Amino acid sequence: MIPHEVPHWMVALGRWGIDTGIYGMMMNTRWGWPIAEAVHFLGLCLLMGTVGLFDLRMMGLVRGIPLAALHRLVPYGIFGYALSAATGFCFVISSPLEYFYNPAWQAKMALMAIAGLNMIVFYLTTARRVYVLGPDDRVPLGARIIAIISLFSWMGVITCGRVITAFRPFME
Amino acid sequence: MMDVFRWIEQTPVSIFMREDFYAYFVALIFHAWGMAFLIGGGMAVSLRTMGVASDAPLEKFAGFFPFMWIGAVMAVLSGVALLAGYPAKALTNWVFALKFACLGSGIVLVWRIRYVYFSMAAAGRVLPTRARWMGAAAFLLLGAGVVCGKLLLYTNKMLLAS
Repeated sequence: MIPHEVPHWMVALGRWGIDTGIYGMMMNTRWGWPIAEAVHFLGLCLLMGTVGLFDLRMMGLVRGIPLAALHRLVPYGIFGYALSAATGFCFVISSPLEYFYNPAWQAKMALMAIAGLNMIVFYLTTARRVYVLGPDDRVPLGARIIAIISLFSWMGVITCGRVITAFRPFME
Repeated sequence: MMDVFRWIEQTPVSIFMREDFYAYFVALIFHAWGMAFLIGGGMAVSLRTMGVASDAPLEKFAGFFPFMWIGAVMAVLSGVALLAGYPAKALTNWVFALKFACLGSGIVLVWRIRYVYFSMAAAGRVLPTRARWMGAAAFLLLGAGVVCGKLLLYTNKMLLAS
């Protein structure tokens, strides 16, 4: 839904982007946006490669690797996520209206929130129990459900990210 | 060569990829999923070969390869569909060739790690330093392939169909 008046905080956000030079780097240079896009997807690949594999193991689709050992790859996934988040922030700051009113971006943020909450639930509830499991032990049902939610949330994030350009609320 | 591109652009598949709103985005989504599984999985295997998560048995990472294969099939099929839409756009761009060179070399290295070093690890032998270098090279090549893929949109000089 496009408002008649742009909210004050969004104008302030856009101004902040201009003042800090992020807008200029993204919109007024030839390679700012393309490089940010490349880093954004590189981060997602790293995230899917580490957290995604951890999820597959936790879902029970792959056996033979202790989850505690596989979890040591996860910090690289978090680094990938940080790369994606930082570049994603640059996209949004450079064109806030096009993102905040874009249904695909809204869905992407909702899925990221689900993935984040799911991760918190994992660390607060089942993480300690799965870390002590052996390489071929069966993972508890709760942990498997968390893994399924995680994997599908991140796949949904990729999907929504890809269709953001299909919706251009202010360009039409 | 231009005649070949023009001919491809007149095929029903090419016209469908360009003119159907959903076809293009569905192909894009499958391409991103496929690449994320293939490249992401390859990066994880590379990291493990480089010594990260060293208490995770390397040879057991073979269990992830079927998922990487599924990713590869998705990426190739959707990639061909996207290429059919605008063949000249991609095939006249040197970054496209670079993307394939990087991804191809990276994937070959990951498969080499799979067939040489997984059995070595399964036998309990210590991996040579060369394995770490191979892992690092695979990681960089796969990353470079992804970067080239994202830069395609900004480096093409010919579109033809439009």
